[in-house]
Amino acid sequence: MEGSKRREEIEKIIRAEEDWEPVGPTPMPHVPDLRNWDRRLLKTYKPFYAPFCDLCCLCTYGKCDLTGTNRGACGIDIASQQGRMVTIACCMGMSAHAGHAAHIIEYLIEKYGEDYPIDLGDQVNVECPNIRLVLGMKPKTLGDLKKAVEYAATELIHVLSSTHTGQEGDPVDYESKALHISMLDHVCMEAADVAQIVGFKFPTSKADTPIVDLGWGAVDKSKPVILVVGHNPACSTEVIDYLRKEGLEDKVEVCGICCTALETTRYSDKAKIVGPLSRQLFFVRTGIADVIVADEQCIRTDLTIEASKVGSVVIASSDKACRGLEEVSERPTDEVVREMVDQRKHFLILDHRKAAEVAVKAALELAPKRKAEKELMTPEQAKEAAKACKACRNCEQVCPNLLPLMEAVQKAAEGDFEGLKWCFERCIGCGKCEEACTHGVPFQRMFQSVASWETWKCRAGRGPVMDTEIRKVGAPIVLGTIPGVIAFVGCSNFPEEIDEVAEMVEEFARRKYIVVLTGCSAMVAGMRKDKDGLTVYEKFPPDFDAGGVVNIGSCVSNAHISGAGMKIANIFANLPLRANYEVIADYVLNRVGACGVAWGAMSQKAASIGTGFNRLGVPVVLGPHSSKYRRQYLSRKEEDDWTVMDGRKKELVDTQEPTPEHLCIVVESKERAMVTIAKLCMRKNDTPQGRQIKLNHYIDLHKRLIGGLPPDLHHFVRTERDIPMFFKREVLAFLKEKGWQRKPVLSLPTFIGTYPTKVPIEAVIR
Amino acid sequence: MALPYHKVNVLTGFKAAAEMKDPKPLAKVIKKASRPLLVIGPRALTVQIEGKPFIEYLVEIAKAADIPICATAHTKGKVEELEATAESTYDIMEIINHLKDPEWKGLRGQGCHDLVIFGGFRTDIGNQGLSTLKHFAPHLRTMTLCKFYYPNATFSLPNFKKDEEWKALLEGLIQELKEAQ
Repeated sequence: MEGSKRREEIEKIIRAEEDWEPVGPTPMPHVPDLRNWDRRLLKTYKPFYAPFCDLCCLCTYGKCDLTGTNRGACGIDIASQQGRMVTIACCMGMSAHAGHAAHIIEYLIEKYGEDYPIDLGDQVNVECPNIRLVLGMKPKTLGDLKKAVEYAATELIHVLSSTHTGQEGDPVDYESKALHISMLDHVCMEAADVAQIVGFKFPTSKADTPIVDLGWGAVDKSKPVILVVGHNPACSTEVIDYLRKEGLEDKVEVCGICCTALETTRYSDKAKIVGPLSRQLFFVRTGIADVIVADEQCIRTDLTIEASKVGSVVIASSDKACRGLEEVSERPTDEVVREMVDQRKHFLILDHRKAAEVAVKAALELAPKRKAEKELMTPEQAKEAAKACKACRNCEQVCPNLLPLMEAVQKAAEGDFEGLKWCFERCIGCGKCEEACTHGVPFQRMFQSVASWETWKCRAGRGPVMDTEIRKVGAPIVLGTIPGVIAFVGCSNFPEEIDEVAEMVEEFARRKYIVVLTGCSAMVAGMRKDKDGLTVYEKFPPDFDAGGVVNIGSCVSNAHISGAGMKIANIFANLPLRANYEVIADYVLNRVGACGVAWGAMSQKAASIGTGFNRLGVPVVLGPHSSKYRRQYLSRKEEDDWTVMDGRKKELVDTQEPTPEHLCIVVESKERAMVTIAKLCMRKNDTPQGRQIKLNHYIDLHKRLIGGLPPDLHHFVRTERDIPMFFKREVLAFLKEKGWQRKPVLSLPTFIGTYPTKVPIEAVIR
Repeated sequence: MALPYHKVNVLTGFKAAAEMKDPKPLAKVIKKASRPLLVIGPRALTVQIEGKPFIEYLVEIAKAADIPICATAHTKGKVEELEATAESTYDIMEIINHLKDPEWKGLRGQGCHDLVIFGGFRTDIGNQGLSTLKHFAPHLRTMTLCKFYYPNATFSLPNFKKDEEWKALLEGLIQELKEAQ
């Protein structure tokens, strides 16, 4: 409810009197404030549902079968139920980052105080574009970041409450809520990462961050090994601090899995990245880690059980994952270490400094005792183990990646390991195969005998895109002469080889797109070498510029990618950010050729990250597993209405041009993904020169990967000037055959003015 | 699977595909359709049935019954190599999005398809796409020709343990369709 009291409260929180920009129409918005934007967006990009389950099991009226036109006992139908489940998933994802942010900010405030300043260096003046845009606040201190998270938490209550009994009842309104909470996910991610950057002095205002070692083979197992797993670096940075203080940094290996690995390499270039989430079970089973420090989010639920199998010990360090363990922060360190070493007990230690000291001391004592437990399975042993297989195919039937495991094991029993290696390269690391096997075939240990043990390279995450970089590339991105910004983000639930992301990154970097990466995708991009032994991080420059390959950082660093889109609108186009969401999202949708790719998205966090990008107008391409998220945002290029407002003439124009064609789409193969990515980088705002470049890539990729000219090419050619020179004759013949006619070219296309909004059309013009 | 008397206690939904083990009724369903469509996925390129690529069977089926082909992912080149016409405008989710609409004119512009045959998809993405059609496209029927059972289809092959059974069914289906021409 909008009232004067609430307005006063908002003005106080965002310090409305500060005149860095005028306060826009939607400071600290509630769901209804941006509902019309969502409905406009979803008029073109309609929710497409693929129910993962026919039932609703959420209340005691049910279970209710919602198949087809059935309704549940509460009255809900299958479409609304999908919208509801998507909203719940996005709430879970957003809350994970909000929880991360709240924790890290509280931890740093405890260390440095609420007034600790936010300073991201001399190249980043627009420090928090998401917070500026959504709240209307220019955060100056850790205390301000805390306010941003508190606001997001309040919105979470409202959105999550709408899922109770399915009370919302309308699928599009559920989607609006999912979009709202996912927009706030980016606010929370930004708060978390900016707090980390200033609190831990992570790199900022520079592109050439250190190149660090990557891969399980990079870990020196002759030393005591501490493995950090999860997303929150509060504890892992304390481990590094303790090692530095004690002069042990070269004597103890610190390595990580998932985003804590990325965060830790932002803190110390001696830390190593083992790999993505999909290698967690594999690495734990090697026994290489003496001590495992788990924090939060993407950590295996059975970590203590798995660690016990190889004599490793676990320190749980987050209140989100206490794991039923005894909390020992108050007990003497040496006593805790003794029990860990002698009894291999796992503990919960919420005092991070204490946890770090215990981890180091326990690792130093355990390592000499655990040499035998670090022995890897040899091919000979794997061959023997494979003989237990009775060819029942139970393993194959439970494999989420549909791998032909039985055949691979049968071949391994004969000494042929090619199939096993093939499976390992595609394994998502869930371990269901072993659970299903009634004959004890140790798949994950057998993988040790076929895994590559070489060292790859990854560039340490660099945080925000610099304002200076935005000034340089803003014009070519908006005009289309840099053909696009492609963000490879998300988890490692890949459909095929683990290095498919690296292949796609290389393809687009070579074509002079700007490629940015975060999270597990940033890691796997480094897991492929060319004939000269170089990874994409060594081959391509680290700059946010044409042909650059930029590791932005961890999951929470995704906010810097959405932030870069906002900064283009703000720094290049001079549009105010402050509480001006619709104008900026409209600008990004219609003029910034960006596309997200979550090829292995798995988690609820990935759902909210992607949905947050969608509300901002950034399309996302997903891998086949993501069809299980239940929802995509698709258009139908031939049938849908592509009318927008011509901002200069202030009149409606039917552009007949489906750009971008979809907002969220699942594709099955990397070949199709690459073609789709190139297509989704086209924008109505492209100049003829820019469209030529984009079409050149679209046509070239389509010819090479699918075959022939794209059959929908005529939809994307507006005038003859858009046609790439190299394909001109062929394209003209195709257009003639299709009965193509010229389409309008707009220099200021906008949705503003095409739906009910408080934003005047003049607001899009600068 | 036996169903509990009180339906609030079911484990999953009620509507599941009819299991088709015999080529004759499958051919009958295809022949009866006014505007069938064959949607080919990328696994048809890699899956071999006793040395012959699955996609070759699918193309033979399309030719035998004059069924238009929607070649998704990167399958178009191979379909054309097999001397069939492939429409590749749509990927799997895009074609399903169109099929939901009973007013859509279809690949040949003659009206929405009434039977959609799928082959060559990952079972997970395939089952998700079929779920969309099961719930939101009551105007059409779906059929899968992959080796595994797809519960969300209208008609599905069973889980074949042996490729030779699958091969026999596909060859039988091709024969039935050819004879009907």
